[in-house]
Amino acid sequence: MSTVAERSTARKRALLEEKVLDEIDDRLGTSKWLRNAMDKIFPDHWSFMVGEIAMYSFVILIITGIYLALFYSPSGSVVVYHGPYAPLDGQKMTQAYESVINLSFSVRAGLVMRQAHHWAADIFLAAIAFHLCRVFFTGAFRKPRETNWIIGLTLLLVAMLEGFSGYSLPDDLLSGSGLRVVFSIIQSIPFVGVWVAFTLWGGAFPGTSVFFTRLFVIHEFLFPLILLGLLGAHLGILWHQKHTDFPGPGKTEHNIVGSRLWPQYAIKSGGLFMFIAAIVFGLGGFVQINPIWVYGPYSPARGSAGTQPDWYVGWLDGALRLWPHWEFRSFGHEIANPFFPGILLPGIVFTIMYAWPAIDRRLFADNEEHNLLDRPRDKPLRTAIGVGALFFFADLTVASATDLIGNALNISFELLIEILQYGSFVAPIVAGVVTYKVCNLLNAQNAHPIQRPVGGIIVRDARGAFHTLGAEHAHEAHDGDRHGNGGDSGHGGEEPGLEAAGLEAAGLEAAGLEAAGLEAAGGEPAGG
Amino acid sequence: MSRTNKSRALAGPAALVALAAALFSVLVWAVPAPAQSKASTNVAAKAPAKVAAGTVANDAGGTIAVSTNPATITAGQFLYDEHCQACHGSGAVGARAPQLLDVGPAAVDFMLSTGRMPLNSITQQPLPGRPYFNKTEIAQIVAYINFVDRSHGTPGVGIPKVTPASLSEGNQLFLLNCSQCHDASGAGGMLSHGYVVPSLRQATKEQIAEAIRVGPRPMPGFGPGQLTDQQVSAIANYVYYLAHSGNRGGFGIANFGPVPEGFVAIIFGLGLLLLVARLIGNRG
Repeated sequence: MSTVAERSTARKRALLEEKVLDEIDDRLGTSKWLRNAMDKIFPDHWSFMVGEIAMYSFVILIITGIYLALFYSPSGSVVVYHGPYAPLDGQKMTQAYESVINLSFSVRAGLVMRQAHHWAADIFLAAIAFHLCRVFFTGAFRKPRETNWIIGLTLLLVAMLEGFSGYSLPDDLLSGSGLRVVFSIIQSIPFVGVWVAFTLWGGAFPGTSVFFTRLFVIHEFLFPLILLGLLGAHLGILWHQKHTDFPGPGKTEHNIVGSRLWPQYAIKSGGLFMFIAAIVFGLGGFVQINPIWVYGPYSPARGSAGTQPDWYVGWLDGALRLWPHWEFRSFGHEIANPFFPGILLPGIVFTIMYAWPAIDRRLFADNEEHNLLDRPRDKPLRTAIGVGALFFFADLTVASATDLIGNALNISFELLIEILQYGSFVAPIVAGVVTYKVCNLLNAQNAHPIQRPVGGIIVRDARGAFHTLGAEHAHEAHDGDRHGNGGDSGHGGEEPGLEAAGLEAAGLEAAGLEAAGLEAAGGEPAGG
Repeated sequence: MSRTNKSRALAGPAALVALAAALFSVLVWAVPAPAQSKASTNVAAKAPAKVAAGTVANDAGGTIAVSTNPATITAGQFLYDEHCQACHGSGAVGARAPQLLDVGPAAVDFMLSTGRMPLNSITQQPLPGRPYFNKTEIAQIVAYINFVDRSHGTPGVGIPKVTPASLSEGNQLFLLNCSQCHDASGAGGMLSHGYVVPSLRQATKEQIAEAIRVGPRPMPGFGPGQLTDQQVSAIANYVYYLAHSGNRGGFGIANFGPVPEGFVAIIFGLGLLLLVARLIGNRG
């Protein structure tokens, strides 16, 4: 209940808002578009916000990135360091490395910005990967959303390249070691590899002084602009096609149930952004990432154990480690070893992922438009393939940490490699088969994997007797044919009044479920 | 709002806090226990000083003197016979384990002060741990083996004296000679055939210098022809600085580089954000 004074204030505020908005509308004509936009409905499910985590991480990456670019110097020319970090004093290094050291130690808020940038990048890629999984396992890529699947995959690919180019910019020992590996992988491409590598680096490794300028332009302009453009298209298409949603009460292929963009969804989304900023800068301030002063300036003669790429490139590093030492020669030409795990494997992986909407269409003979999502269990085969692929990537990623795992668990390096080599075949197959079985089991039991299965609804019939309507009972009441009881009447005489109670159950659902302290599995009312 | 919804609304933030706490404790657990490091640092740091106390210097400059006091040597022999002889043989001539007739004080002090010896099983790779002997006992055993080696005419490597040196020189030498196996952060790594590369972050300057000179296998030893005394001191000073200058930028996540970083980003970063999304997302 509001007082008179409160109501009068609110009226005044509304009048002021109206005036300001009118002024804007007179000049830009935005109100018509805004009225539509503000009423746009977004479905309420937490998993639909993961893409936003990626988007907001990208926003933080741009903000922190601009700050870093103010102090980074993309130059390969050699300077002698004299600064506050004693162990590097008097050492020769590239200007690029020196500028990042100065950024870390001499620029106000430089280190926290650099660390936040790096953490945001790691979280950005993690959120993209999770978002990709959500879209895959729920079948959200199906017609009409194939285009956005392809754009999303391209975003992932460019984000990985963007991340790697950023990892390479400081010219520390890790950067240089990573570039050394990538240079060799590019070199291994048959026929053109050497030309491509020499063109990019401006000569033999470690390249000429033009290299860091190029890398900087790629990281600072080329890839971010591609990402921005693709993100715009991704969101534009999403806006046009409208959001998918899980099936549930009142949800059809042709409607969307959820919150309006303004004010509910905007507040939710804004809140999420605040949390992301808090966690990214919290990590940036409290947890060290990529201490380039420890790695030292890059020199081809140096090396470090535990040299790994950032996590999202780990599966490719792992593939290089697991690939057997086979050599292939044909027509007097050798196809260099790194080509297979470094170029062919990601090539095949991304081709399959790009082609997945088409493969899925054939697999399930389904060319219909879908706005309602599958639950993962609804398509056991797709889910099994997806989980198998995740285990494959996990196996390769673990392989990129073999030296650390060997150190921590005291397992022989060779044994570990061998286990993971077999694991890259066995783990996906086993995981896929188990997933397939679990999906079928869940379908058979109609149970939720995490939540407690519906125990039943207690209803009271006309004669005053109590009955428990479990999932099975509810099912029976509506699926009489299966039990040979015939027709819609469902039951024989052994449980009089149950059918009537079953119909009532739908109406009682809201009250009955709460009272019994139970939740309907998957949002589906037990009574139908 | 119903009762169920209210309890769920509370359960969410509670789960968030619980997860954050759990993750933090995992992070804390991931770094080596301070108690152990403190113990080994204390014992080892003072060991060479103890050795020097009330003794006669019997070696050239650049090494720390070892006691030649007969009482100390006898005490060392007593300890040797009790704890070492079973494998290394009576009079250090070797039995199941190698002879110690030419190893010198540096090797003995290194093996004992880092807790590598005595070993439970001779097939094991000696790895650092809690020292079995206290600093006095170590000095006694060192004196005994030094006596045996000298009587044999092969004095071995003396305990290097670490002098103040340039951190920058140490940094360059470390990245050129050591980080390939020990990691640029000194956190250690892995070799082939199941050999572990130990972390250097608990080691004292003297232990680092000893290891460089002695080469505790499978690590190669670096003689004066490869690294001068000054260079050994520089490396020892730098490695000690690396582990004791604090992690600029915050908590170091075991100083193992991108793998634990990715772990934290996914589990702590994205994991918390998914929980947040779960809390925010399902509200109408």
